[in-house]
Amino acid sequence: MRLVTSIWGQGRTWGLVLGLFLVSSARGDAPKADAKAKPKPVLPTGTMDTSDWLKYDTAALQPGEIDRLVETTLKKANITPASLTTDEQFLRRVYIDLVGKPPAPSDIVEFLKDKTPNKRAAVIDRLLASDDFARHWALYFRDVIASRTTSFQARIFARHFDRWMTEQFKENKSWADITRALLTATGEMRNDTPDKNGQAFFLGSRMGADAVTERAAETSRIFLGIQIQCAQCHDHPSDVWKRNQFHEFAAYFARLRERPIFENMRIVGQALMSVPFGEHRMPDANDPKKGTPMSPRFLDGKAPTASGKFKFAALSDVERRKALADAIVSRENPWFAAAFVNRIWGELMGQSFYQPIDDLGPQKEALMPEVLARIAASFRGSDYDIKGLFRVIANSQTYQRQTRPGEAGEEHLLFAAHNPVRMGANALWQNLVNTLGDLSPRGGFFPKKGFGPFAGPFSLEGLFKQEFGFDPSSKSDEIEGSVSQALLLMNSPVINQKIRASQGNVLARILATYESDDEALRALYLKTLSRRPSEREMERCKTHLRGVANRAEAFEDILWALINSTEFQTKR
Amino acid sequence: MSMQSLMHVQTNGAGVVSRRHFLRSVAAGAAGAGLLGWKEALAAQAPELRREGKACILLFMRGGPSQFETFDPKPGHANGGPTQAIDTAVEGIRLAEGWTNVAREMRSIALIRSLTNREGEHQRATYQMHTGYVPLAAVRYPSIGSIVASEIAPRDFDLPHFVSVGNRFSTIGSGFLGMQFAPFVVGNPNQMPANVELPGGTNQGRFDRRLNLMTDLERDFAEAGGQQLVQSHQALYSSAANMVRSPRIRAFDLSQEAAAVRDRYGRNAFGSGCLLARRLVEAGVTFVEVELNGWDTHQDNFNRSKSLSETADAGFAALVRDLRERGRLDRTLVIWMGEFGRTPRINGNTGRDHYPRAFSVALAGCGIRGGQVIGSTSAGGNDITNRPVGVADLFCTFCHALGINPRKENVSPIGRPVPIVDGGQHVRELFA
Repeated sequence: MRLVTSIWGQGRTWGLVLGLFLVSSARGDAPKADAKAKPKPVLPTGTMDTSDWLKYDTAALQPGEIDRLVETTLKKANITPASLTTDEQFLRRVYIDLVGKPPAPSDIVEFLKDKTPNKRAAVIDRLLASDDFARHWALYFRDVIASRTTSFQARIFARHFDRWMTEQFKENKSWADITRALLTATGEMRNDTPDKNGQAFFLGSRMGADAVTERAAETSRIFLGIQIQCAQCHDHPSDVWKRNQFHEFAAYFARLRERPIFENMRIVGQALMSVPFGEHRMPDANDPKKGTPMSPRFLDGKAPTASGKFKFAALSDVERRKALADAIVSRENPWFAAAFVNRIWGELMGQSFYQPIDDLGPQKEALMPEVLARIAASFRGSDYDIKGLFRVIANSQTYQRQTRPGEAGEEHLLFAAHNPVRMGANALWQNLVNTLGDLSPRGGFFPKKGFGPFAGPFSLEGLFKQEFGFDPSSKSDEIEGSVSQALLLMNSPVINQKIRASQGNVLARILATYESDDEALRALYLKTLSRRPSEREMERCKTHLRGVANRAEAFEDILWALINSTEFQTKR
Repeated sequence: MSMQSLMHVQTNGAGVVSRRHFLRSVAAGAAGAGLLGWKEALAAQAPELRREGKACILLFMRGGPSQFETFDPKPGHANGGPTQAIDTAVEGIRLAEGWTNVAREMRSIALIRSLTNREGEHQRATYQMHTGYVPLAAVRYPSIGSIVASEIAPRDFDLPHFVSVGNRFSTIGSGFLGMQFAPFVVGNPNQMPANVELPGGTNQGRFDRRLNLMTDLERDFAEAGGQQLVQSHQALYSSAANMVRSPRIRAFDLSQEAAAVRDRYGRNAFGSGCLLARRLVEAGVTFVEVELNGWDTHQDNFNRSKSLSETADAGFAALVRDLRERGRLDRTLVIWMGEFGRTPRINGNTGRDHYPRAFSVALAGCGIRGGQVIGSTSAGGNDITNRPVGVADLFCTFCHALGINPRKENVSPIGRPVPIVDGGQHVRELFA
């Protein structure tokens, strides 16, 4: 491992963006802003190649081990970590992260009352065991795949994937088993049987002339965190991948085809099927009509061999994809674990070791690579136990630290504090429903509940998720709000109807229960932001109450303001 | 916004600037920060273009219109089917029957009959005809509307730069250019857009009161580490609130138009969309897309194309005529196109299938010399016989008309440089 000690300028005076992976400082020359900069924390970055990862201990992580590793580095960099979260802060964060929705007020009250010393660990275990965990993370991975499908019509099968993936998480299938199932999937996904064969969605959601190269690129990106697709057309200028390596990787998918299933002249589904021959061709750089047939070969240079005496070209589609799955989930291949750990850590912490979350590789700079390497090694050692990984991260103090004022966002917090990030569309919708109650239209023509990314496009839920959805592999500072989002939350008649203090709505219940404004405000904050208001917030709200004669109307304004606030949409 | 604050935007080694950081540094230096995007600042090298007030309207014929039944009729040939041709205001240029209004405007309109492409699947071709690129998982390419908005949209403007009319669910968005240039989608042009009007029980005073309350209640969270999120959020809310309060929002209100005008555009969603496009461009919107769906005529091609042509003809012709008469055509590029053409062979269901090899596009305004035809197809329409134009050439042509440098490279989030158009040359004859 090459450890680069670089200077992390604060850069505020210049508004200079020192990207996470300072190219200039990695080369050794200090940024020019240096002279003006204030204290300079040491940015502990480094690159990792395959053999580096394999040097780390694969034993299970000891309690506190992640924290010791992170804090050792922070100490060297002269950074004090942020304080630990309060119980309120912790509970909202861990609920949003593990089950995709904030805690109910009763959960919060109960948790605050609980005096047992290991109550945080207990809540983590309870959430990991819940079906909501499985559903939430299935939707997450659905979005990882569906955000970049190039066959738009195949997205209808996203709901097949949702169901299948939920079952995998419920049973705590290992990441290796899940990966193997996705890469070796065959058979039919039919419109009318969303419970069947959802594992075919990953490969089946690509079609057409580029399906082979797309499958290769996405397999590498999602399961290895390696973006080899840039080498599709030319040797990568700033990475190690050669053009033929990309096309050798693509050759694993050379004999896989997708086709629509017709019944009575109508398309009723889609099937993945093998063809007995044919090779993927690397197009000639000068004449795209010509091409070189490619044989499968993994990124480590090893080629699969056919069992028995058959020569290599005779490998069938199924054999090829099994060989690829074997090579990917092999314990000799550390990138598989590193990519998953980097992704999950990034989602839980709000920042990842490698950024973007799916861009690893031997020439990419990672922050604190030794921490990632140890966690990834233990993940390999656990045979890719998904819940085990969530458990060990969520129980660490590093995860349980507060957010901290000051520079954040594009500048890395070095895991000394929590980075607040936007909630995903599914979690935000849940937050809205938890606060306001059922938002689906009653009766009538429209389906009550939607599904998938195009879920009930006519329901508010479908519109909302479409409006607020984003690709979970994007960097957090690339995810922006839109004017339509703001308009929806500000002015949607459905939402505003539910904000009213009229019969049956949340506000009516709160105002009827609590005659005292203080108590009503506390209940409202607990319901919307899962916390009690600060004194300053109480004062501001009470000023508002005094200024607006009608109590219900004033509370409606407060509920509107809380739902439209940044914090409501943020995991903090 | 001052140039001073622009100077402070710098890129890191890979040429990537953080969007949120930019937003914040702008927020510190200028009022109305929400109206400014990082890409916009990087594109600030062409301020004169913004002053010119150029705009573009794309009439997208979803499904793939038959060139035989629109702008490249082949009467007398077996492939031409029963469709007859009609004369136009320009001698020698003939269109398919049904296009009488467009025929009258022919002096303002140029045709390309030799567009050629390979992509024959709807979604992929639609994507390509919107972005100039075939879909790729690694890069979310921006739609031409977002590109044009990011390059030439005016800075201080309280409506969206890019409005897409009539397609709620599969609009191609701003890709890596970010939400700043994402299309604002209007499902039904005959109504005001969703959520731009205050809900019942909320007047302007109460709306402002709520916004103030929200801003004040954000302070604790901002001070606890959410400062940047709060800043971007408030910039966004101020854009949205400005839009709600803007007098220009009435540009969306077609009821302000005379009945005769509305009749001329056609009393249907597409006609209304064309009228809305004219109103929005006049109000200062940079790019408007209006969709007419239904051109996928595998069955009953001739009757269906005829009815679609009537709708398209009225809206397209009224738009070109109005823009010309109101002095806006020289600064507004109007594009009529679909994702591909249809097969010369008429299938067993009197339909035509997908045919990307040779199809037609119509262009008007913004320096395009009307009354001419670029390229030609063979007698049966199977092949291009003269002047093939590829998708990249077409996109370079859009850029040329709008004063955009097609070789300019944007940077995707993983640091890949992406030219606005990859290769191609603009069709010079169109501007001669």
